Amino acid sequence: MTGLEEALGPLWPYFLVIVVGFLPSEFWRFCSAVFSGWIDDRSEVFVWVRMVATALVAAVVAKLLLQPPEALALVPLWARLGSLLVGTAVFRMLGGNAFAGVAAGVLTLLAAGSLI
Amino acid sequence: MTHDAAPARRAWGAALEGMRDAIVLPAWVIGLAMLGVGSLAHDLGFPFWATLLATPLIWAGPAQFVLFGGIAGGGALASVALAVSLTSMRMLPMGMSLLPLMDAGKRSLPMRLLLAHYIVVMIWTEGQRRLPALDPDIRVPYYLGFANASVLLATLLTALGFFMSASVSPMMAAGLLFLTPMFFFLSLLAGVRTAADGVALGLGILLMPLALPLVGPDFDLPVVGLVGGTLAYLVHRRRR
Repeated sequence: MTGLEEALGPLWPYFLVIVVGFLPSEFWRFCSAVFSGWIDDRSEVFVWVRMVATALVAAVVAKLLLQPPEALALVPLWARLGSLLVGTAVFRMLGGNAFAGVAAGVLTLLAAGSLI
Repeated sequence: MTHDAAPARRAWGAALEGMRDAIVLPAWVIGLAMLGVGSLAHDLGFPFWATLLATPLIWAGPAQFVLFGGIAGGGALASVALAVSLTSMRMLPMGMSLLPLMDAGKRSLPMRLLLAHYIVVMIWTEGQRRLPALDPDIRVPYYLGFANASVLLATLLTALGFFMSASVSPMMAAGLLFLTPMFFFLSLLAGVRTAADGVALGLGILLMPLALPLVGPDFDLPVVGLVGGTLAYLVHRRRR
């Protein structure tokens, strides 16, 4: 690979972004674009795929809270989960105001973090 | 029903509405995550313009983190590419359940590829709850307005992060990192319409502590998605 790196010179980082980042990632979007042409939004397959995506995104939330990046791991697990609950409660009480919910959650996390 | 000029005006109106809805909050959630990506890329010695290009092109925070971290760590390029691809596997069910809301079956493949390019968790959760409420004929312009405004803001914040690197306090970094799961969760919750949706959401969260040690970091998300989603689908079948 060093030969290619030398040949490309200053273009090497762009090559990495396109070939090592963009193409492997976009592959899945390409597949979803191909398959979605066959799925009617009133079909049973659609309902199933939507359920899979919903569970997957919920799992993303759980993973971010259970195995957080380094800086968020400074705050203990109970405070991360508690802040999520506070944010959700505020969101619900204010009739689905996402801004208020997110603000309440983040402020709770910061408060808990500075107390520890 | 409408005059000749009306459809175009309606489309532009929807695009503007989409931009506004994105800029109010959701675009900032991705944008602030990309601020972190820009900052990381700077610390790892990645050049500015390539860092900036990565945001609209790759358009997936975890994939960008893995790419920059993997290259800096000196991993073999094929294994970095594989790791990037594994994090983006989540786009498949997301695209397959969002594009049909925009009449995917009647659109050309290039158009579907364009629509699919913008798919990320935030765009999916927001699209899932906002698109069904709109007239089918303005969904695409609304979506493109929403998504492009998000990409633009996130690209600007990537640049900002690149230059303000290392000036973020640890506590502020924790707050910024918490923004993502907090927003994803509320956005997902707002999109729950049926009991089965609620089951899918609950199972996705509850199965994760089991999947983390049992399945491992590469396939935990797809496995939980498939198992939790399929169980929720069975609940949906039962209730009809």
